[in-house]
Amino acid sequence: MVKRIGFLINPIAGMGGRVGLKGTDGVVKEAKKLGAKSVAPFKAKQTLQEFLRLYKESEEIEWVTCKGVMGEHILKEAKLKSISIIYNPNIPTSAEDTKLACKEFKKHYLDLLVFCGGDGTARDIFSIVGTQIPLLGIPSGVKMHSGVFGVSTKATAKILHEFLSKNLIIGDVDILDLDEDKYRKGEWNIRLFGIAKGIIEPTYIQVGKSTFESVSDDSVKEEIAEYIEEEMQNNEDTLFLMGSGGTIDFIARYLHLENTLLGIDPVYQMKTIQKDVNEAMILKLLKKYKKCKVILSPIGAQGFILGRGNLQLSPQVIKSIGLENILIVSTPSKLKHTPVLRVDTGDAALDKQFKEKDYYMVIIGYRLSRIVKIQSNNL
Amino acid sequence: MKRNSTAFLKEEYKDLVAKGFNWQLRTLEGPSSPKCIVDGKEMIMLCSNNYLNLSNHPKLIEAAIQATKTHGAGSGSVRAIAGNMDLHFELEETIARFKKTEAALYYQTGFATNAGLIPQLAPGKEDLIISDELNHGSIIDGVRLSKAQRAVYSHCDVGELEKVLKEAEKKNPRRILIITDGVFSMDGDIAPMGEIVKIAGEYGAMTYVDDCHGEGVIGKEGRGIGAHYGIEGKIDVEMGTFSKGFGVVGGMIAGSRDLVNFAFNKSRTWLLSGSAPPATTAACTAAIKVLETEPQHVEKLWENIRYFKKELDSLGFDTGHSETAITPVIVGESHVAKNLSDKLIENGVFALPIVFPMVARDKARIRTMMNAGLTRGDLDFTLDKFEKLGKQLAIV
Repeated sequence: MVKRIGFLINPIAGMGGRVGLKGTDGVVKEAKKLGAKSVAPFKAKQTLQEFLRLYKESEEIEWVTCKGVMGEHILKEAKLKSISIIYNPNIPTSAEDTKLACKEFKKHYLDLLVFCGGDGTARDIFSIVGTQIPLLGIPSGVKMHSGVFGVSTKATAKILHEFLSKNLIIGDVDILDLDEDKYRKGEWNIRLFGIAKGIIEPTYIQVGKSTFESVSDDSVKEEIAEYIEEEMQNNEDTLFLMGSGGTIDFIARYLHLENTLLGIDPVYQMKTIQKDVNEAMILKLLKKYKKCKVILSPIGAQGFILGRGNLQLSPQVIKSIGLENILIVSTPSKLKHTPVLRVDTGDAALDKQFKEKDYYMVIIGYRLSRIVKIQSNNL
Repeated sequence: MKRNSTAFLKEEYKDLVAKGFNWQLRTLEGPSSPKCIVDGKEMIMLCSNNYLNLSNHPKLIEAAIQATKTHGAGSGSVRAIAGNMDLHFELEETIARFKKTEAALYYQTGFATNAGLIPQLAPGKEDLIISDELNHGSIIDGVRLSKAQRAVYSHCDVGELEKVLKEAEKKNPRRILIITDGVFSMDGDIAPMGEIVKIAGEYGAMTYVDDCHGEGVIGKEGRGIGAHYGIEGKIDVEMGTFSKGFGVVGGMIAGSRDLVNFAFNKSRTWLLSGSAPPATTAACTAAIKVLETEPQHVEKLWENIRYFKKELDSLGFDTGHSETAITPVIVGESHVAKNLSDKLIENGVFALPIVFPMVARDKARIRTMMNAGLTRGDLDFTLDKFEKLGKQLAIV
């Protein structure tokens, strides 16, 4: 069956990084003045070439794209034939063009949208397409924290190939973004922006001697949720802080707990007692509740449990809760791509404590766990 | 009508067929021998676990015939009630002697052993079972029947195993059970059992090894993993099978008298299945005696393994890290492995592909299993086919 794949290049993505601007949002002119060159088209072409080497049925794909630099040129350079143009961008292009193109993509029943850019591009696309179209990012920006990106052009080509060969499936991935204005002023503020649909590795169970069935990510999360429910029931005197992200949100909903997808929610005796708490509110709660555990799941492409998308869990909060009271949950499929857990609390001494702890037992199913190493970003 | 109660039978089968996941049963016309007739065609057999060709040994055949004559065709009951025969006890004494343990217990099958015993050794949620990530399906099913907490460690990674144990200490589980395959069936590598036993001792954990692919192959006289590492009698549960190297059928455990008393009173698979018939039981005893008195079978197996591996390597095939009778021929993508297998079968070599998700996507392979009964001529014929087809498919 013919697959319809959207293809979008953000030609200015990554330009800021080359000239030390830590991102390209709103500073394209400055970047160009400093001599920045467009890198995205090159990365996109590399990916397509590698993909065509792997995938032999590329005639079965209809490419839906934008005119000129935002897709058409590179698809043609890669000698792809079935191309339809659905959007004509302004020159020079801007984030607005990405968004307008996405509005058009939404009308075309795409199986997947492949884009080339960074976290900013991912955020712009997600803000329009939401969970309607699964996304796959060719990394070309300054920052690629979001879970939609392959780790390299080669890896992205392989993911696309495996997806079209039906070896990978659609699942939840995190979209993260850093506030670039604050970042340039030296402030590190990565937010979890939303949960998009992306391509993930399925979890397999053996059903026959050599037959395996891929289990839906949801059923793995249900197992984890049942385990967490047991933990909560066995620890009635403990306050549980539910972290941010799709996995934890699923668990909370499964347990009929009110939850903030992108925030932290305190749960006591199987009830959400407050919503979306900030650092000060958490510290106040910790004074009231003597026992506390925090439930986290790795966020984004790099397996961060702290320091990305959950800054409310400040060094002071974590020190007060204690490293031993952090429960980490993850589907096995997520761990496959992020085999280490990362922390970047902003407090070097605390990061060192994590490094010394060396590993966590990560809950990957009902009463099922495995060892995963911790890596501190700054040590 | 409320629902069609059995429609799923046909639907699910059709679905398996559509995906190409159904088993098409092939028929051996005659014995399972190094060269056998499969669906009417003579083949070099590289898929059988009959490593030592003992299933065709005259002493085993004779023992089965004699036992049938003296004890009949069946045993009449489960062992706990009226189906326990002198032949069963004789076999268990023989196993214990061979494994150098205090006692042993014979089960109906290897699967019945794992599924029956594991959930009894660590049944409660206050217990912990720690398992190698590549353990066999029968272990996984045995573990699923328990309520215990479960932790998985990376394949053969003793460092990681120790971290799990360290972490477990904090919760002070009632019992800890470490389970591993002895020889792993996909790669033919051997679990670091010596180190596992040592660490387990430090943390007060039980050790359980499934040595199905090690018996008759590794260790002095093919006595298995205990002998291989010189730790006989130190593994709490040495579990094995008679259906592979020993050439018959049935499962077993070897260990302390306490273990055996516990196991046969608690394993539901053992208690609720009829006992093995006299012919099988006597043939198993005969198999062990053959190993004890005729070292040439294990020696010939190893001679064949070494020659076959060396020649495959020199042809340029990737044979992984096997240390046993299982030699994977790693060819990369799934379709290449399937293609090579089809062509080998067409050319009279029975060897099946193992593909994702049994193994990593880019590590699809032909899994070959060596047999002591194959002659040098048979091996050269096989290697010649591998070479010709490997070149044809641009693998080498």
